[in-house]
Amino acid sequence: MNLPKLYRTTAVRLALRYALVYALMLGLALAAFYWYSSRYVDSQLEAGLEQELRALTELFETGGMVGLAQAVRQRMQDGLHEGRFYALVSPAGEVLAGNLFEWPAGESVSLDAKVHRTWIEDDTMVGHLYDDDAYVPVVAREFPDGSRLLLAAGVEQAEALHEITEFLIEVLGVSVVLALIMSVILGRTILARMDTISRTAGDIMAGDLSQRVPVSGHNDEFDALAKRLNTMLDRIQQLIKGIREVTDNVAHDLRSPLSRLCNRLEVTLLEPRSEPEYREAISGGIEDAKALIKTFNAMLGIAQAEAGNHRTQWGRVDLNRLAVDLTDLYQPAARHKGQKLELTTRGSAEITGSRELLAQAIGNLLDNAIKYTPAGSGIRLEVKPSDAVAEVRVSDSGPGIPASERDHVLARFVRLDSSRHTPGNGLGLSLVQAVARLHKAELVLGDAGPGLLVSLRFPRHAVE
Amino acid sequence: MMHILLIEDDIQAAEYLVKGLGECGHVVDHAADGEGGLHLALTGQYEVIVVDRMLPGRDGLSIIRLLRADRNQTPALVLSALGEVDDRVAGLHAGGDDYLVKPYAFSELLARLDALSRRNHPAMQEQRLRVGDLVVDRQSQMVTRANKRIRLQPREFRLLEYLMRNAGRVVTRTMLLEHVWDFHFDPQTNVIDVQISRLRSKIDKGFALPLLHTVRGAGYKLSESP
Repeated sequence: MNLPKLYRTTAVRLALRYALVYALMLGLALAAFYWYSSRYVDSQLEAGLEQELRALTELFETGGMVGLAQAVRQRMQDGLHEGRFYALVSPAGEVLAGNLFEWPAGESVSLDAKVHRTWIEDDTMVGHLYDDDAYVPVVAREFPDGSRLLLAAGVEQAEALHEITEFLIEVLGVSVVLALIMSVILGRTILARMDTISRTAGDIMAGDLSQRVPVSGHNDEFDALAKRLNTMLDRIQQLIKGIREVTDNVAHDLRSPLSRLCNRLEVTLLEPRSEPEYREAISGGIEDAKALIKTFNAMLGIAQAEAGNHRTQWGRVDLNRLAVDLTDLYQPAARHKGQKLELTTRGSAEITGSRELLAQAIGNLLDNAIKYTPAGSGIRLEVKPSDAVAEVRVSDSGPGIPASERDHVLARFVRLDSSRHTPGNGLGLSLVQAVARLHKAELVLGDAGPGLLVSLRFPRHAVE
Repeated sequence: MMHILLIEDDIQAAEYLVKGLGECGHVVDHAADGEGGLHLALTGQYEVIVVDRMLPGRDGLSIIRLLRADRNQTPALVLSALGEVDDRVAGLHAGGDDYLVKPYAFSELLARLDALSRRNHPAMQEQRLRVGDLVVDRQSQMVTRANKRIRLQPREFRLLEYLMRNAGRVVTRTMLLEHVWDFHFDPQTNVIDVQISRLRSKIDKGFALPLLHTVRGAGYKLSESP
């Protein structure tokens, strides 16, 4: 176990801080308890001592010194001294009765019949009841004949208080240690979970984007975090894959027209040519370059639709109106190819989206239908709104796409072998797909029996 | 001949633009940064300003904004490498009159600059447009050629009206798509060519002098001389 690392975890630091505060509070409570209870015990002791002194003083007043000495001795014999120490000494200092061997030496004992803490040496006491020399509550007085009486508090009550306090200090110690152990366990658990996330992040940084944070199945906040992170990673991986595809495809699809353009110009320069020949070569080059720009812009359009960041220009788009405008634009081209483009709309079909991108997507579908359907066939553009979705369908009676290849054609630059001879860059459907995804629409390629049916189902409400 | 201000920090691109526009008969002043461009725009007399969006010192849109704040209404065309729908709208909002995304073809830029120049443009409110014996009445939407009535569908009328307003100038396919259909994308098929040939069959068929010409590699032009 790595202690410095453990200490750096928030959980351990928090736990340690709580343990410290807890120990401090408990210590304060303990000190207060000790102070108040020892004061209480002391006042009880003091009251007892003063009361005993008054009782013995009364005995002296009725029975004189002899009676007093007798009473003290009697208390020793009967064991009635209740843990107190007595010393009755003659004016000469000789002990007349009691369980102290001598009048305490050292510090002078004040004789004002009030309790004072006084230094008593251990060996002056019978039975050595105190473990050591100590300050002890003491009350003493002098009688008119010069003899003196001293009472000192016993030890039991004070000892009991000490024991309770010591026990409480032990409890405090044990609970602080327990808190420390708990914090370490807590810290290790959290560290272990964090480490798995951190390790995954490390693997991803090392280049393995397919790594995912393990989900423990406890459904706790760590699982929630892990799931969130994994969703984020999925999206990032998807975006990176998209970017990678774009660069691959740029390399692939722009390379051949670029080298064609370059070769054409180089070959033209090889030997002197007539002006019409130069013109021919240059305008050929310009056509190549324009085709490149077209492909390039189509790819940028897809990338932008996929990045999905033109939301600020979104608004309500009337799909019926858009369909009318697009039919209007494409109708002559279809008729030119001997095809019939028919538009069917029913009911209002407004959705929230980008007119620009939607026009481009539906336009691409019409482009494809016109391009890949033979002369004499029909093309239908339909807008079919229902409660939940607004559906745009483009169907043709051309050759269609075999079911097995329908997923495949959505990939960028894919052109089926059967369409190699028609011009195009294979980007049309990927743009449709990107626009559909951006609008949370469902893109389905189906069978128009015969022909291809492409359906875009837009949710009518709540596109974020 | 137009007096054009070009604000573009890509020196090589600027050089060929200056050369190309010069060979097309225009006079071009070039500024390579935003501050210099703003200074020229505020002090010179230009018919069109071409400004790159991203410039060192000061960005293109702020130049247009400052010009408009100074009541300078010189038409401005914004060049941009960004090309998102939002950017075009931002460019037009800032007071730009047209927007062209890089990479673009020179012929496209040339046609758009021609269209932007206010010179020789019939006033927007002018009721009758005329090219040769072809007359368009904008109010009654009546089209006649040699006093013979020609029937056009509404969209064909808008197409012809746009060509008439730009008579004698080349208009590109994307310009037609933008102004007649309000679409800003690049259709893969030849939809515009087919639209034009339909219009041509209505206005030129049966007349000795064709008015609607195809300009190879650039677009179309409506004029009495090719």
